[in-house]
Amino acid sequence: MTCTETRDLFSALADDALTPGERAALDAHLAGCAECRRELAAFGRTVALVRAIDPAHAPAGFVDRVLAAARPEPWPRWLARRLSAPWPTLPLGAAALLLVAGLAVLLFRAWPEQQQTARYQSAPPGPAAPAPSGETAPSAASDSPQADASRDAGASATATREVAPAAPPPAARAPEPPARLGDVAESKNRLEQAAPAVEPTAPARDAPPPALEGRRAKVDSIPTDTAKASTRRQDAAPLSRTGAMTGILAAPPDVTAQLRAADTSVAERSLIELAGRLGGGQTGRRIDGGRVVVELAVPREAYAQFVREATALGPLSIEQQATDRPLLSVAVTVSN
Amino acid sequence: MREALGADPPGLLERLRAGDARAFEELVIAYQHRVYGVALRMLGSRAEAEEIAQEVFLRAYRAIGAFRGEARLGTWLYGIASRLCLNRLASPDRRLARGDEALADVAAPTPDAASAAERAELDAALRAAIAGLPEERRLVLVLRDVEGLSYEEIAETLAIDPGTVRSRLHRARLQLKEKLERFA
Repeated sequence: MTCTETRDLFSALADDALTPGERAALDAHLAGCAECRRELAAFGRTVALVRAIDPAHAPAGFVDRVLAAARPEPWPRWLARRLSAPWPTLPLGAAALLLVAGLAVLLFRAWPEQQQTARYQSAPPGPAAPAPSGETAPSAASDSPQADASRDAGASATATREVAPAAPPPAARAPEPPARLGDVAESKNRLEQAAPAVEPTAPARDAPPPALEGRRAKVDSIPTDTAKASTRRQDAAPLSRTGAMTGILAAPPDVTAQLRAADTSVAERSLIELAGRLGGGQTGRRIDGGRVVVELAVPREAYAQFVREATALGPLSIEQQATDRPLLSVAVTVSN
Repeated sequence: MREALGADPPGLLERLRAGDARAFEELVIAYQHRVYGVALRMLGSRAEAEEIAQEVFLRAYRAIGAFRGEARLGTWLYGIASRLCLNRLASPDRRLARGDEALADVAAPTPDAASAAERAELDAALRAAIAGLPEERRLVLVLRDVEGLSYEEIAETLAIDPGTVRSRLHRARLQLKEKLERFA
């Protein structure tokens, strides 16, 4: 074995990646070549220097920033943003809707009985009565259709949770005293379909800018992350604010669609993600006759794109109502 | 060098594919330092490394449904990170003035009681030597000697032959050795 051939094996030697044959030949050459022994020593020191480099640590708050970025912007915030900029150019129709919505709030406030009912109906579920969750569903699995439906619901609840946590319901976060919570939630329910524009509270959970976050003292991030995660899960549970959950009938959607897909929870997630990507978002979710109905808001100008991409998820049938609203309400029943 | 990659956390892949939101969080917690680490050593700027590391996880989040499990989660994430780093390095609008931050926290321990000045000089030389390696060699060196991956794991990560890993790594180390001759 020549000196060049020997030195070509140094790297593999440092990684203990030589075959027994290579190792024997190397040792034989080194035994008789002082020059190669010196080269090997220098090579070994270089490798040791590189390996002494400390592995880097992601900055504090990294996990939270990734999780926030992975979830589509919650639609109340999207609306708030959309409405804050183009006020002067709002179409007349939307302005009229706002007027009607405002009137509804006034009427509602002047009607204590209605408020009382709302408070009762829209109280967020406490820890004693948790919503069905993905973790518990599989344990209840059996072959009966009922169990299928509950498993389905469980899986989809998980999917909802995945996109939902950044948008806690106002009832869970709003700083008002309890007596007003029902008030806010109720007016929201009544107005959601007619005038999504009047979302009363858009809880912004903006992450602090990365620059600031990076300057914070390093902390052990894992326990913090875990704690935050559990908070998020609790927030996510009462997200669905549709008729089925609250007992209040919502207005019929602009578009009613049926989507057939082999994996309903994947299809549901894809729909929500799609709506988010197109500038809309999820507005609700219910189970109708054992099938999941996803309720979405889709900007009118992106509707054609929505249909195109939704068709790619599986066979899609659509019923449309004539409407000139800028934001279409779309209810998609997902089944397999 | 970082500890060995090891097997995926048990059950994590299945839960990710089932759409479990908590599973994604666990994935980010488990691999954040590795993904950020390779980006930092490749790009040399903490801000840019965080941006790329975030993008790695967002891509993983979107693509998990299509992930067939032919690779481990760890090598899959390292693979996405590697591609994004190489793309970023190749992009024409990348600012040229950067890199000093890259190994700022290298802190190579010296076996003897060398003076602080000598150590600082060595750190700077090591930093410059690594930054001066051709990108593909630097990537293999970082994955092996900083991130602690095996040849097979690097081959899986970069979708190249283990023989190619071995030769790139050897060339990278030889080049470093020449540049660090007077320290080594």
